[in-house]
Amino acid sequence: MVNRRQFLRVTAGGAASVVVAGGVPATAQTRELTFLTIASFVPETDKELKRQFEEWGAKNKVKVRLDIIAHLQLVTKKASEVQARSGHDLTALGPGLGDADLYFDHLVDLNDVAADVAPKNGGWMNPNDYLIRGKWKLLPWWMPPFPMAVRTDLLEQIGEKNPDTWEDWLRIGKKGKAIGHPFGTALGHSGDANVTLLSIMWSYGASYVAKDGKTVAINSKETRQAMEFVKRLYTEAMDPEVLAWDDASNNRCLNAGKCIAIHNPISAFESAKRDKVVIPGTQREIAEVIDHVNTPRGPVDRKTTTGYWCVGIWNFAKNVDLAKDFLRYHFQPENQAKWVDAGHGFNMPFLTNLTKHPVYKSDKQYRFIPEVAKVTVPPSWPGPTTASSQQVLDLYILPDMFAQYATGKMTVDQAIAWAEKEMQEIFAGRKRKF
Amino acid sequence: MTRRSWWSRPTRSLFTLYLPVAPFVFFALFPLYFMLVTSFKKNAELYNVNATPFFIRQGLTLGHYEMLSKDTMFWSWFANSLIVSIAATVVSVLIGILAAYPLARLRFPGADSFGVAIFITYLVPPSLLFLPLSTVVNRLGLSDTLWALIVTYPTFLVPFCTWLLMGYFRTVPKEIEECAMLDGCNRFQTLLRILLPVAVPGVICAALFAFTLSWNEFLYSLVFVSPAELKTMTVGVFSELIRGDIYYWGGLMAGACIGSLPIVVAYVFFLDYYVSGLTAGAVK
Repeated sequence: MVNRRQFLRVTAGGAASVVVAGGVPATAQTRELTFLTIASFVPETDKELKRQFEEWGAKNKVKVRLDIIAHLQLVTKKASEVQARSGHDLTALGPGLGDADLYFDHLVDLNDVAADVAPKNGGWMNPNDYLIRGKWKLLPWWMPPFPMAVRTDLLEQIGEKNPDTWEDWLRIGKKGKAIGHPFGTALGHSGDANVTLLSIMWSYGASYVAKDGKTVAINSKETRQAMEFVKRLYTEAMDPEVLAWDDASNNRCLNAGKCIAIHNPISAFESAKRDKVVIPGTQREIAEVIDHVNTPRGPVDRKTTTGYWCVGIWNFAKNVDLAKDFLRYHFQPENQAKWVDAGHGFNMPFLTNLTKHPVYKSDKQYRFIPEVAKVTVPPSWPGPTTASSQQVLDLYILPDMFAQYATGKMTVDQAIAWAEKEMQEIFAGRKRKF
Repeated sequence: MTRRSWWSRPTRSLFTLYLPVAPFVFFALFPLYFMLVTSFKKNAELYNVNATPFFIRQGLTLGHYEMLSKDTMFWSWFANSLIVSIAATVVSVLIGILAAYPLARLRFPGADSFGVAIFITYLVPPSLLFLPLSTVVNRLGLSDTLWALIVTYPTFLVPFCTWLLMGYFRTVPKEIEECAMLDGCNRFQTLLRILLPVAVPGVICAALFAFTLSWNEFLYSLVFVSPAELKTMTVGVFSELIRGDIYYWGGLMAGACIGSLPIVVAYVFFLDYYVSGLTAGAVK
């Protein structure tokens, strides 16, 4: 007869031994490779990736599992896998290269894979940008270039053509707003707001961090000029709702037939085409009158950024060599080409040859995408990517700074002083990094 | 016409009952109505900013429900949610009963403070717990199985059930248990045969709350389970129908409508128990 104390001793001891021993022992060892990625903005991309993954698995007799989550969930998932030191072998990283710095000690060096992949694809576009502390801790995977998406019918209606500068877009936005079709760019907490505001800052010669990657450079004459411009853009060419916009809002504004133009990847156009969205009050499909032109230039420069989606291998992965092998397979030119084709060019790799993929000539709306890619730089430009530079973006300090001034809640000096203090704390490490 | 006849029963009900309740009913049902309307709208109407958002003007479509059924693993997610929620609820209510009874009935040193400690445990947010729990789940070898959720959900359900049932058990007169003991019942028999039948409303109330919390849970489900076929509905719908800056509003609302049904059904069936369970002890 087992008494109460014996029962407790045995069950508690058993549970403890399982925990101490590191889990339930595997009864059968099969080779399995797991890959965590984000739901692509163009669903066909995921299908093609899955096809390639399964094809590679079948060739190498490896069981494969591709898990897909929404990009907003990736931060939580990465943190839990690193904490448990267990999870997927391959993982999507991003948006931004900052994960390589943040998880530097948890990622496998990919110098060998990066070196193998590059020559077959005409080389990496800007390899120095992707090196974190001198190492390839991740492979830059794909980016959605940020052109300007514009309604050509409305452009014609207000007598404008070939807009190219931010001043052109301000003028178009003013005219558009007068006829009920304002310009649209987010000024709230969204990735799109970071991208567009950085584009404007760079076009005026401003940046938030200096080339050394440590000095906060936000307090400058150029930043003030950029802020003056955004204030005019907000008050004269946009509706106040942009302060509350998320990443989906500008797409909705364009596809609803309201906005004359938005600074956004081709996803809005793609979804309008897929859903056969019509111009309100007509039977004409709105995709027919959406065009994409180059990201605007300013008085000093033409630059933009975007989400740098990357892929890496955890150093606690069970199958590091298999994971590297799959990356080599996926980055073969023909596989990359099929994958870009499936995504209709939305997912542009950081490989020179792929920027010339035929898909960018397949539709006249895509003609400027390779041009945009050429002027796309990481958000920390001109400095290197660090966990701190990434944190500035994750905390949406730039949109807050611009919005505080644009809405009149702060003077330009107050807004810059506030942002500078926030950034200095981040770069000094006084704010916890995640 | 006398004043009494004018103030007839239907009129009185209208002014004293239906009209005062109407704003609350509207407030409570509006989200459900909006979900339902949106789930039946065509994409063209969903995107049209000039369209009235509260009504369907350009025809109904079942396309979003069809997409949910054909293009996603929605029904697998639904089944997973059901399995996990029922299992976690049963486990949590059972443990809750066994924990609440001694805390409510037995006098032992620290009983009160132990009861308070259990309630405080309930207040620890899952967003703080998921990182250490992910280590535990991994060590137990439960990652990427539904067991990971069945085991972790009770971490927030058991304290809640215990706390709720403690309150309910205290409202049941001790004397009826003492009578049973005089007739020869031991503690366990008293709990099983005397207290629990009397405390059914409280147990159902705890079970309903536990089921609702499990059904809506998101964070643990996201962190502990990755394979598509094992996702619960909350995570599955979010993963598949929010793709970057493209939101599949029709599909999202269709998923939300179907997802609301089990909760609605459960509350409709057990509403009386639920209310009496919640209000027990309010009036002595």
